[in-house]
Amino acid sequence: MDLPINRNTPTVMHIDLNSCFATCEQQANPLLRNRPVAVAAYTTPNGCIVSPSYEAKAKGVKVGMTVRDGRLLCPDLYVMSPDPMKYRFVNLKLRDIFQTYSPDVVPKSIDEAVIDFANTPAMKRGLSTIGTEIKARLRSEIGVWMRCNVGIGTNRFLAKTAAGLHKPDGLDVITHENLKDVYASMKLTDICGIATRYEARLNACGIYTPLQFFHTSSEDLQKRVFKSIVGHYWYQRLRGYEIDSVDFDRKSYGQMYSLPKYTDKPDELGPILMKLCEKTGRRMRRAGSGAHGIHLALVYSDYTHWHRGKTLSTTLYATQDIYRKAQLIMSSQPEKKKVAKMSISCFDLIEQPGEQLRLFEDDDTKNWAASDAMDKINDRYGEFVITPALMMGMSELVVDRISFGGVKELEELYTN
Amino acid sequence: MHQTIHESIDVIAVFPRGSSHALPKRIKWQGKDYSITELGMHYPQRQGRVLHHIFSVTAGTLFFRLNFNTETLQWVVEEISDGLAD
Repeated sequence: MDLPINRNTPTVMHIDLNSCFATCEQQANPLLRNRPVAVAAYTTPNGCIVSPSYEAKAKGVKVGMTVRDGRLLCPDLYVMSPDPMKYRFVNLKLRDIFQTYSPDVVPKSIDEAVIDFANTPAMKRGLSTIGTEIKARLRSEIGVWMRCNVGIGTNRFLAKTAAGLHKPDGLDVITHENLKDVYASMKLTDICGIATRYEARLNACGIYTPLQFFHTSSEDLQKRVFKSIVGHYWYQRLRGYEIDSVDFDRKSYGQMYSLPKYTDKPDELGPILMKLCEKTGRRMRRAGSGAHGIHLALVYSDYTHWHRGKTLSTTLYATQDIYRKAQLIMSSQPEKKKVAKMSISCFDLIEQPGEQLRLFEDDDTKNWAASDAMDKINDRYGEFVITPALMMGMSELVVDRISFGGVKELEELYTN
Repeated sequence: MHQTIHESIDVIAVFPRGSSHALPKRIKWQGKDYSITELGMHYPQRQGRVLHHIFSVTAGTLFFRLNFNTETLQWVVEEISDGLAD
C-alpha cells in the first residue's frame, strides 16, 4: 500500500552545534575567534583531529585527519587538547534551555539534541520562532560566539536533514510542501544513514538520487534493495513518519584507549588495562550495576585486530575482579603483537549486585566493600586520589574524553 | 603559543548583585598587572567535593584560564596563551 507524505504540522526540532568543541574553545578564548582552530585527541603530529573550527574547515581541515596533515593544509592551525568539562557544561546549559520549552528532550550526542514539541504550549508560538529564540538564548546565556543549526520536521530524520541544510547557524523547516525540493537538492550520501556502502547497494538497484529513493515502493526497498524490514523503515522515514523514537537500554560499560606508544610488553600494557578496568568499574558501580560478561578488544600496530568475550557465572563488580578476568583474556592472545588500541567492556549487566545476600562472607565481598570504599574516597577528594597500586604514575594516561555517539551518560545527566 | 602552568596569582574580582558569577577585573601575574578585557566563559567544576570556578579571560593580547578554589579561596592561573599557533 502506498503511504502519502506525512502532512502533519512539524513538531520535532533537531539542534546541532557544528564544530562544537572548537566553537566552545573559541567562545572561551576570544583570541581564537576567526582563526583556524582544531581540537585533537592529542596535540602530537599523529593525534587525531576531532573538531576543526569553521575557519579550519574552510582550509580543508577535516574530522579524522592527523594533526600533521591538518598543519600541512593550514600552517597557522591552532591545535588544542579536548577539555571535556567545558563541553559538558555547555551541553548542560543547552539542556536547561531546551527543557524550558518541552520536557521531551533527547540528547543524541555531546553536540546534538532532539526536542519533541508535540502537545506543548510552545507549539502555539510556532517552532521557527522558538528556534530563533533558542539561537538568541544560546548567545546570551552561553556566549556570543555560540552558533547552532536548527532543523524542524515531522520526524527525527527530517529534522536532522533540515539542520544540515544551511551550516553554520541555519534554521530550516521541512514540510510536505518542500520535502521533494529538499531531496532534489541532495546527493544520496547527504542523507543521514546513507554512506558509501548503502549508496552502492542503492546504485546496484538503479537508485542514484534521493528523489528516486523516495519514489521507490516499500516492497522494492524491502525485497530488492535492503532485503529486510529496514527497507520499509526507510520508506516511512523518507515520508516523514517517526520510526526512530526508540529508547535503548544500557547494555554495557566500556572504555577504550589509543596508546601513544605501541607496545607488546606486559608490564606496560598491564597498568593501562588496570586503568581502563578502574574507569569501567567506577562508572558501573556508580550506576549500581555489576556484570556477568567481559570483552577485550585489541587493535595492533599492523592494523589487524583480535577480540574475545567471556560470560561468567560470577558477578564482576570490584576493579580487581574485572582486571583479573581481563588479564586472563589478554593472556589468551594467539599472537603477541604491538598493541595500538585497547578496549574493555563489561556486559550482561545486573542491578544492585551488592544487595544480593550471600551465605558466607568471602574474598569477593571484601573486594566489593574495598571498591565501594575507594569510590567514596574518590568521590570526596577527586578522581584517582586513591587507585590500585598498578596504576601508579598513570595520571597522564587514559585521560577523560567524550565519546562520539555514545550518550548514555548524557541521558543519565538529563534525567537526574 | 599555549602553555599549561599552575601558579597562584592575585586577583581583583567583582561580585555583581543579581549575577550568577563573579567577574575577575584585574590580575597580577609574575609581578605585572593585567586588566581583564573579556570574559569568554565561566563554568563550575568539581574535584571531589571541592567546587572550583573556571574563568576563561583575556587581558589584551593574552588569554588566561583562572581557577578559583571555593574551599581555599585561592586563585590559580592554569593556562596562558597568545592565541597564535605553536
